[in-house]
Amino acid sequence: MTLIVRLKQFLDETGNVARFTGRFFSAGIKPRYESKELLNQCYNIGYLSFPLVGLTSFIMGLVLTMQLRPSLVDYGVESQLPVMVGLAIVREIGPVITALIFAGKIGSSIGAELGSMKVTEQIDAMTVSGIKPFKYLVATRVMATTLMLPLLTILGDGISLFGAYLGVNIRSVTSIDLFFLQVFKSLDFSDVLPAIIKTLFFGFAVGIVGCYKGFNSSKGTQGVGISANSAVVLSSVLIFIIDLLAVQITELLGLN
Amino acid sequence: METVKSEAVIVIKDLVKAFGDKIILDGFNLTVEKGSNVVILGKSGSGKSVLIKCIIGLLQPDSGSIHVFNGNIPEMNEDELDQARSKIGFLFQSNALYDSMTIRENLEFPLLRHWVDIEKDEVDRLVNGALEDVDLLHTLDMMPSELSGGMLKRVALARTMILRPEVILYDEPTTGLDPVTSREIENLILKLQKKNHTSSIIISHDMNCVKNTADLVVLLLEGKCYAEGTYAELEQSADQNIKQFFE
Amino acid sequence: MAHQKENNIKLGAFVLSGLVLMILALFFIGKNQNLFGNEFKLKVRFSNLNGLTEGNNVLFSGLQAGTVKGIELINDSTIEVTMQINSKVKSFINKNALAAIGTEGLMGNKVVNISPVKGFSQKVVEGDILQAKNMANMDEIVEKLSQTNNNVADISEVLKGTVLRIDSSAILKLFNDETIGISLKASLLNVYKTSNNANEMTMALNQIISDIKQGKGTAGLLLRDTALAGTLQDAVVQIKAAGVNASAMTREMNTMIRTINHDVTKGNNAVNTVLKDSLMAKNISLTIENLQHGTDGFNQNMEALKHNFLFRGYFRSLERKKIKEAKGTEKLKLK
Repeated sequence: MTLIVRLKQFLDETGNVARFTGRFFSAGIKPRYESKELLNQCYNIGYLSFPLVGLTSFIMGLVLTMQLRPSLVDYGVESQLPVMVGLAIVREIGPVITALIFAGKIGSSIGAELGSMKVTEQIDAMTVSGIKPFKYLVATRVMATTLMLPLLTILGDGISLFGAYLGVNIRSVTSIDLFFLQVFKSLDFSDVLPAIIKTLFFGFAVGIVGCYKGFNSSKGTQGVGISANSAVVLSSVLIFIIDLLAVQITELLGLN
Repeated sequence: METVKSEAVIVIKDLVKAFGDKIILDGFNLTVEKGSNVVILGKSGSGKSVLIKCIIGLLQPDSGSIHVFNGNIPEMNEDELDQARSKIGFLFQSNALYDSMTIRENLEFPLLRHWVDIEKDEVDRLVNGALEDVDLLHTLDMMPSELSGGMLKRVALARTMILRPEVILYDEPTTGLDPVTSREIENLILKLQKKNHTSSIIISHDMNCVKNTADLVVLLLEGKCYAEGTYAELEQSADQNIKQFFE
Repeated sequence: MAHQKENNIKLGAFVLSGLVLMILALFFIGKNQNLFGNEFKLKVRFSNLNGLTEGNNVLFSGLQAGTVKGIELINDSTIEVTMQINSKVKSFINKNALAAIGTEGLMGNKVVNISPVKGFSQKVVEGDILQAKNMANMDEIVEKLSQTNNNVADISEVLKGTVLRIDSSAILKLFNDETIGISLKASLLNVYKTSNNANEMTMALNQIISDIKQGKGTAGLLLRDTALAGTLQDAVVQIKAAGVNASAMTREMNTMIRTINHDVTKGNNAVNTVLKDSLMAKNISLTIENLQHGTDGFNQNMEALKHNFLFRGYFRSLERKKIKEAKGTEKLKLK
């Protein structure tokens, strides 16, 4: 019985998210654009997340390199370390780790911000003042997350690779030229482009889920907390689901 | 401005609104005359806030009509609603100032939205004027979080007034304020009302506020207009349901 | 408002750096695929591609020179490969250059190796078809390996025989000169060791060959490791040389014995004189030295082979067995 109720709730929620997404495309895309607010959100969402993404990417690159080294040494292919690390970072680790950090930082802040705006009637106040809150708040944020996450991923990948370069140099010596030459030699467009394209979807998911949760926050401080929390959880899960879809689509297209 | 009836700015007829099984408004009728202050009195949860949110179009009623000036709010499309809303001010219970913006930006925001072609000088003049009206010109570049509750309410009032609305809806304007500040707010409401010749609906259960501001008091009970009259009239009433508010 | 402007500048820098990084990355990847460069086309026809695909690199004398652009089946035994070559190397490739399919690194991608051939020839022009040098396939390699193995086994047999012959030869008794005696003994020991080493190698090779034939692992691929092939070749040459030297020595010793016998039958007891004959002594010394050289070289190669990871497993297990046996005997002794 409770299972059926839960299933119904789940389907209801899914339907609402889908409707919300549809509303983004129907209402959010139409002019007039809130370009100033979009820039503002890009600054908040992209630029201000960069230090965090940079730090985690750097550590990830360094640690991944140090962890992969022993098994490569065992196979006698230590010289392939940059290639292995480069492929792992660019294809999977970079986009997913960046997206998860992004979901943690941005998903929760959007959920909490819109949630508290909802609770303190700021969203209603906007409606009354002739501002479409959906356009002003949701569309700008979703667009900003969609555009900024790929950028953050690219920069994060770069920093990660630099971390990997340092990681290689802890136990052996390579020049930065040789390292990046090896990395880029092993990379293909079909490694980079699907990885960047999937981050667009990751960013979109983080934005939509954060806004949905915030926009539908229930009254009270607790409601805001729940919104922020469930925004992070749901967008993190969605990132993995999209990742799964992305790998299958690239496989189908023969890009793998 | 042409009105539906000679002097009425808001005419509500047979308004019904339910949330699920719970009926909040059940055939509510109200007429607000131009230039008058109508206070809607009722217990918490009696549907006062729902009523004014229906008037401004934030909630869609299940049936009934709400005529503000010429149009029927529930039947309007987005653009018509925006048009109508530019003539209706709304003071939120929680002020609803945008915390991410300065006071100046809070006041500019609706101006820039409603009057797209407005000159920069004109915006500055209107913002300064509105803040002067509530004696808070010095807070121009402060953030809402730096102000006290009473000041926030006054800023919110200034923001509501800045568009020169013809009708203002107040959602519990004195709730959560100390009596002295409450008096200040009430006086401000009256002062601005006189200055701008607006009509208003005030929701309150603060009897002092009701006494000071009301031209007409409407008692909302079980989703219907239970009683209507001046403060003095209702105060004299022997009806138990009315009496409990005046005790 | 000033604040807003500052933020916009920061955002601009952020977005720009991301885009620049992206463009640079794409450019570098594109450079590898010759998407942006000046280039011309060369063709080559193979009977077997060994898994070469579009996008694989083309090397000219080991230098990155282009990529494989197209692969077209012409008939059942001919596949035409179109390569896009950087114009910079165009003026260095002659029409008689050979193209072969090779492997990048140990287990890497397939590559097309273009190597120059000595002799005068015209420079290539757009669309030329180069001559293909068909790489030996797996079976041929295994065949060669077997042959090498047999050679080694034969040689080591011969060596053993020679050593035995020398050892049992009467001449050893005749040597009074201690130095010659000692170095000869040492050489013999070395030759012994050499033949043992050779035997070990044959066994290891046999193991690998049977592995390959059973289709086990990637050992087959790894045999293309040129370093390993070189070492193996050297080892065979050197063991051959050692064998030749050892034969030469036996021959010389035989001559000596004949001379001695002759002298003895003639009745002049001149053994000492013969042995003191500086020319003879020098000859023997030289031979011994040669023998030493040959076996030393071979043994060094064997050491190197032992460390080659293909053989490592075999030798390791051998060592473990030895240790086990040693332990076993120790235990027996204790009892």
